[in-house]
Amino acid sequence: MIAQARSMMGRWYSIPLLLVMWQAAVASGLVQSRLLPGVGAVWNVLVSETSNGALIYHASVTVSRALTGFVLAALIGIPFAAAMARSVLVRNLFEPIFFVGYPVPKIALFPVFTYIFGIGTPSKIAFTFLECLYPVVVTCYFGFSAVPTRLVWSAQNCGASRSTILRRVIVPAALPSIFSGLRIALPVAIIVVVLTEMIGDSIGLGYYITIWSTRFRFANVYAAIIVIGLCGLALDQAMLLLRRRLVYWEREEIR
Amino acid sequence: MPWPRCSQKIENWLIPAAVLALWEILGRAGLLPRYLSTPTAILAALWELAVTGELFTALAQSLYRVAVGFVLGAAAGILVGLAAGIMPRVRHFFDPLVSFLYSVPKIAFLPVFLLLFGLGHASKIAIIAFSGFFPVFIASRHAVLSVNRLLIWAAQNMGAPRRTIFFRVLIPAAAPQLFAGIRIGLAHAFVVLFAAELIGSKAGLGTIISYGEEWVRFDLMFAGILCFAVLGFAADRILLAIRSRVLKGQIIGTEEQVAR
Repeated sequence: MIAQARSMMGRWYSIPLLLVMWQAAVASGLVQSRLLPGVGAVWNVLVSETSNGALIYHASVTVSRALTGFVLAALIGIPFAAAMARSVLVRNLFEPIFFVGYPVPKIALFPVFTYIFGIGTPSKIAFTFLECLYPVVVTCYFGFSAVPTRLVWSAQNCGASRSTILRRVIVPAALPSIFSGLRIALPVAIIVVVLTEMIGDSIGLGYYITIWSTRFRFANVYAAIIVIGLCGLALDQAMLLLRRRLVYWEREEIR
Repeated sequence: MPWPRCSQKIENWLIPAAVLALWEILGRAGLLPRYLSTPTAILAALWELAVTGELFTALAQSLYRVAVGFVLGAAAGILVGLAAGIMPRVRHFFDPLVSFLYSVPKIAFLPVFLLLFGLGHASKIAIIAFSGFFPVFIASRHAVLSVNRLLIWAAQNMGAPRRTIFFRVLIPAAAPQLFAGIRIGLAHAFVVLFAAELIGSKAGLGTIISYGEEWVRFDLMFAGILCFAVLGFAADRILLAIRSRVLKGQIIGTEEQVAR
């Protein structure tokens, strides 16, 4: 019990240590408390803004936008990657778009998206979709291409139909790579939504950060940053849980 | 060129060429909304920016910010990441912090950085370094931990001093993963550069884009976007070229080689 508590301390001591240093720096007047409010001030704002629903409202806007774009990218990207891996024509047509386009910073296209889809939710979802589509398609494409041919052959030998092979052999074999693609895309979705909300919007956590920083109320900014971090952690954990359920035969080392 | 390879090349460029042609034709016919401009108008705007020299000033400023910021962030990420991989104490200090901060978009700290470092170069460099640090740190830490222990034991057995083990065994074995982290960090750096220049800036490619919007010169906006995209793409290709020089034999048959 004591040993367990000690090892917990050994693992997590840096966060309380940093909080203490933060508080000490603010209390001693080394940094302006307007720029870096004390731990207590941030905590108070976090509690009051959560209880009056403001943070919860903006967080739900941000998370629902991120998830919509992400789910759309998964629903379209995974079958698309499978088609690219199966058909030479589809691969030849789309390979340069995905592989040459992969390192291009697509964020530069966001202004165009706001003209096409307007400044509100649709442009954010469309842009999140685009940003998530690339990691999903590229990772799943490698996953589908790497399915061992002899698995497919032996299923054919046993007289399995094409749809059975797809459902029972190809998809399960590619599932680990599908999940690693999804796990790369999920934080991308949150980053992109917050970022585009900071560029221009009237709801969402990104907007919340910009509006309170222009009023020099940095306790609210830090509270929003903490909420974003918690949302990201929760979504990542949910993704890992889903992966353990669906890919129960293979344990992934958790970072 | 034999026919199958030739037809593959045609198929490869079919969709981009068709999109560009359609864009140009529909744009000239006035069937597209004005904000989409046309490819030839964008090239003309690019030429205009190049002649007045505006393009090169903006390009130099953006490049300076992203280069300095990224090098600082990646260097810190490699150093701290290697230290965290080698020394459990350092690892235990950084792990909780990084696992929390990693899921936060670093751009959320931009208002704080703007206030700390002002509207000029310093705040952009700082936030680019800050966001480039995390993926590089995670990759380096992971790279050291996943180095085959047998290699290190073998070197120790032959009496190699710690310095030699570090430079001749650990670093080469960890190098492929280090580069993977640096590549992700580079992509983050460009995203943050764009957002930082669009939200709070007085110079750089982001400003060309926002001026284009303000003056309703959509060809200028697209010219800025094009430059930004080419800059990011070129930086990634340069990194891959360095990587294949450094790693020589290590990347044969890996995903990255296929991706090229």
